[in-house]
Amino acid sequence: MKIKDRALPEATNIYPTGFAQSYQHLHPFLVLALGSWYFNDIVANPIKGLSTALVWLAVLQIAYCVTCLPPYGTGKVVVEKKKPGEKEKKRSSQVATKIFTGLVALIMSLIVSLVVAATLVLFGAPMTTHHWETLLCAGHMSLLATLPLVYVRGVEGQTWQEAVALLLPVDDVYGGMIGTFVGAWLGAVPVPLDWDRAWQRWPVTIVTGAYVGYAIGKSIGATWGKGGKIVFV
Amino acid sequence: MDYGEPLPSYEGIAAAFAKAKADKERDEAQGLRPATRDAAVVQKQGEVHFKAAHGLVIAFLTWILVLHALGIYLFTSGFMLTRLVLDEKSECALPPTDIGSTHTPGSPETGCWHPKSFEKAVVILIDALRYDFTVPFKSEDSEQPHHFHNALPVLYETAINNPSNAFLLPFIADPPTATMQRLKGLTTGTLPTFVDVGSNFAGADIGEDNVLAQLRNASRRIVHLGDDTWHALFPGYFEPNLTHAYDSFNVWDLHTVDNGVTDHIFPLLHPSNTSKWDVTIGHYLGVDHAGHRYGPDHPAMAAKLKQMDDTLRRIIGQIDDNTLLVVMGDHGMDSKGDHGGESDDEIQAALFMYSKRKFFGRSSPAFQTPPATAKERQVAQIDLVPTLSLLLGLPIPFNNLGAPIEEAFIGAAGDDYRNLATVNRLTAAQIHRYQHEYALARGLDGSTRVSSLSLWASANNVWNSLGKKSTQDQLKDAYSSYSAYQIETLKICRDLWARFDIPRMLSGVTILALSLVVLAVYARGIDGDRSELTPTLFAMASIGTTIGLLIGVGTTYAIPSLARDNTFAYCFAMGGIVGVGAAFWYIRRRISSPIPTSMWGWLSVIFTVALSAGFAANSFTIWEDEILLHFLVTFGVLTAISSLRQKAATDRILGTYHSILFVLLTRVASLSRLCREEQMPYCRATYYASATSSTSATWQLAIPYVVALLLPAFIRSYYDGTLSYQGSAVLWLGFALRFGLLLSAAYWTLDAADDGDWYPGYGEILKTTKIIIAQLTLAIALAFGYSTFAWSKPFLKIEDKSKKAKASKKEVIPEGNPSSITILGYANVHGSRYALLVTMWFLAIALVQKPMGAGAIAIACWQIFSLFEIIDTNKLSDTPIGPVVLGLLGSFHFFKTGHQHTLSSIQWESAFIALRTIKYPWTPILVVLNTFGAQILCAVAVPALVLWKQSPKKRGLLGDVAKAMGTHMLFYAVVNLATTMWAGHLRRHLMLYRIFCPRFMGGAVVLLIVDVVGIFMAVGGTRLSFLSIGEVFGWH
Repeated sequence: MKIKDRALPEATNIYPTGFAQSYQHLHPFLVLALGSWYFNDIVANPIKGLSTALVWLAVLQIAYCVTCLPPYGTGKVVVEKKKPGEKEKKRSSQVATKIFTGLVALIMSLIVSLVVAATLVLFGAPMTTHHWETLLCAGHMSLLATLPLVYVRGVEGQTWQEAVALLLPVDDVYGGMIGTFVGAWLGAVPVPLDWDRAWQRWPVTIVTGAYVGYAIGKSIGATWGKGGKIVFV
Repeated sequence: MDYGEPLPSYEGIAAAFAKAKADKERDEAQGLRPATRDAAVVQKQGEVHFKAAHGLVIAFLTWILVLHALGIYLFTSGFMLTRLVLDEKSECALPPTDIGSTHTPGSPETGCWHPKSFEKAVVILIDALRYDFTVPFKSEDSEQPHHFHNALPVLYETAINNPSNAFLLPFIADPPTATMQRLKGLTTGTLPTFVDVGSNFAGADIGEDNVLAQLRNASRRIVHLGDDTWHALFPGYFEPNLTHAYDSFNVWDLHTVDNGVTDHIFPLLHPSNTSKWDVTIGHYLGVDHAGHRYGPDHPAMAAKLKQMDDTLRRIIGQIDDNTLLVVMGDHGMDSKGDHGGESDDEIQAALFMYSKRKFFGRSSPAFQTPPATAKERQVAQIDLVPTLSLLLGLPIPFNNLGAPIEEAFIGAAGDDYRNLATVNRLTAAQIHRYQHEYALARGLDGSTRVSSLSLWASANNVWNSLGKKSTQDQLKDAYSSYSAYQIETLKICRDLWARFDIPRMLSGVTILALSLVVLAVYARGIDGDRSELTPTLFAMASIGTTIGLLIGVGTTYAIPSLARDNTFAYCFAMGGIVGVGAAFWYIRRRISSPIPTSMWGWLSVIFTVALSAGFAANSFTIWEDEILLHFLVTFGVLTAISSLRQKAATDRILGTYHSILFVLLTRVASLSRLCREEQMPYCRATYYASATSSTSATWQLAIPYVVALLLPAFIRSYYDGTLSYQGSAVLWLGFALRFGLLLSAAYWTLDAADDGDWYPGYGEILKTTKIIIAQLTLAIALAFGYSTFAWSKPFLKIEDKSKKAKASKKEVIPEGNPSSITILGYANVHGSRYALLVTMWFLAIALVQKPMGAGAIAIACWQIFSLFEIIDTNKLSDTPIGPVVLGLLGSFHFFKTGHQHTLSSIQWESAFIALRTIKYPWTPILVVLNTFGAQILCAVAVPALVLWKQSPKKRGLLGDVAKAMGTHMLFYAVVNLATTMWAGHLRRHLMLYRIFCPRFMGGAVVLLIVDVVGIFMAVGGTRLSFLSIGEVFGWH
């Protein structure tokens, strides 16, 4: 539990290639499209709908990481032109690293989803029923919030402590994480209303809130929020 | 009490501190050598100064309390007009006036006040039978008939084909159009008000005189079939063998109740069974349920009405000559099939009476046809009461305001005006007797009913001028004169009981809103120590209030038509608020905007405002417990994050630990639930053994023992951290608290043994023992507790050099005397000393909670101590978040101790925990401690938020206490203002009586209780702890 005195990590930069730059702006829309595509299925049958959507969300998130983000351990993205000769060689080895890091991040974020599920229960999710719904909801939140974070920040204990303490600088990934949780928090608002709508069933509104929150948080983190510190007084 | 050796050392330190201080001051001022005597003088001056400042803080906060009380009073008196329920019953032998005919009164056989017309009656109540369901559809324009049209023609056909045997009229309900309120009106003849203040406030059963009570009095046998609401209102009135009641709440089920009624009613109508009963009531629910489920314009409604049509035809066929048949709706339904409000569609029901004899008449041939719409020839629902009573030969119920229905008394030929005048005179006389008694009981003078009294006198004049051979016109005149009296009286009563007084409500809301602003500025908008400025504020408030009162007196003389209490209260409050406003202007350099500038300030605002705004929606009001859980966990998670950001390792670790503990405890406490009806089926009650019982399960009896075993140790650990577990704290936490908790656990075991009759024959011994145990526990908590709190020294211990190896920052080495001693417990001298009060109130409150509630309130107490640590480690004692979270916590544990904001969830039996009979003021105190125990405990804890781990030398601690308590009161004041405004704004809402009004009452009562407890117990309590510490450390 001891924080070593060290400089806090810097904000993550996106690869400077044109494809990565445009894809990073496209990604939140793809995530929202995924969510709305499966929305009716999730409302009709939350367990089935959420499981299917979870697989596609994992694919989408890993694709985003591989395309746009520097994997943990490769150092930060240097916005510089590389020498023409080196390019080919570097990329082939990098792709393997990226996919490997992506898979580690996927596994880690699935483990983290257990913690998220426990947190949901603490916030008032049903304790004795709807276990799969809660777990799958946590899975979605974790894939949105922590998969890219693990991908760029690794699994170092101190980094995670800083991440939980909201000490990391705001960037695409961190903005997405905060947005996911804030969105899910706000998603709880319509649950008690007596409108008798199918979409009010657990955990549809939470997942919806998380998706919308992620998209907004990531976009803010990528733009004017970038590099900012979270003030907590 | 014995404190052992340290006592002399204390005095030594106290003197040394005071002396050093005095020396320094004197040296600076004059350069003279100090005299020993001066230390005592300085000490005394400091004490006097503190007492004065403290008294003024209490006085100022009390002034705020008075404003809250006035605002609530004005709003309530405009909003919840109450009707006094008189217990008098009409008696058969005592008609209200001379009969004026040959009939001899007093015999139920021939008729009490008036000759009896029918031996028996069958009353068929078709719930939600709207008038237009019963009359043929007449097309205007090109409108097509709806499904509900022309489906139930039997009543109209019978009335038009045999007008002397039947009549059909619109039957107008007094809102609210809910079945229970309607049944009260249909049987008592009174108007509904929100609160009928009577002898039994808690139960639903009707205490006042009514038709059913009169029937039972006359030894008539009543059979009831159908909706079980009747059994809640009239428990034990019905013939047990013949009666069949059905659950009324399953609105999805259209047929169970109806089939049950039909199956049982026809055997009763069979000639072989008619001798077994005198009155049969059949209450059908299918039409109402079809409306709720499908709405009126639906094939299911048509089918249901056709089924009713068929049933009614069979009943009409089977009825005998001496039986009166009444068919009626208790209310209508709106276009969606719902009801409860006061729209035309909801209040227009149908009334149909039928007899095999030629009995009914019309005053005009044009009236032979039943009215085409419900706008013509309306009959009020309360008119059924005198009509039925007189037809069956019963006295008219005492509180009745209705009139006899013309068709039933005018005779088949339509010309018996003597009879009509007689029954109207009887009814009017009873109304007059009732009004007289009511005015006496309420202490009203004649001014409110001048108009009706003059009508009464003139009607009597007309009557007295009648001779044996009066003309038709003279009799008509007498009839209409008595009728005019009845109509006027009804109008006066309606004005008195059933209307909202909007100006009063608005002046109440204005006072609450402005006092909220004053409190907000006082609590959050003053820089520095507000106890310095309180004298100015209080002085200006007093001057303003006095001027306001004078203006109020002047106004009431100038405009005598204004309500005196309203004017006084309004001027009193406004004068004071203007005075404080002027004082704020005077000290404007010290005022800053109360709008928060930090995240924690905003969080406090968001919690408070979001909760308050939510009370505008019935769903958020119903699920308040879950919302509070959400907010409290959010707070815990945010403080965990904040703790992780702390620089100092101890702050980080302690803060994170207590934040996580706080969250976990919140969630564990949330498992204790008592569901309100509206939460079903999404809530499972765990507070009692089962959802339908109000006794604890056997395993729950173990909870108080676990609490007694563990909680004192947990609290001790919060004292151990700063080595404050010294002196009286050892005696109290280590022994008295635990002993008291064990006693209270024993109480609940004995209570269960007594309730469950575990030891038959020992009931009386158990009862006596448990009451003694309860009284003993309360004596430990409050008598022994308060004397400990008042007279114990600060929890410090002096250690000499030999033990100095353990020295840490928790100890202090007094200046000027470095080598000799260290003080243990110095780091939290204020907090530890004051927090003792929290544990005392905890003991008293834990006793009066059911076993599950004892567990919940213990968790609340534990959370409070964790909150102290969280606030300290995150350095939040200056922010509003601590007092606001205590408000959330108190509100949360209100639910967790088995309560809801409904009248029915009040645990009245807690009045008998320490008493055998009702004794004032103890009985209400016990019920309040049981109901609002959680809010009381949290209010008592508020000063400790700013005292926890503060240096005894810190300046302005009294101001911090005032600030924290002001903020805590502000939280409840915002909630109260919001619930008040919503209740006023939604006064026509369907759910007003079930949801918004109870929440408003809860909010108002909680605010006043928290104000009283916060000001006198909490801030008042700091006087004792400050004095005790000031004695040792001097005044700063």
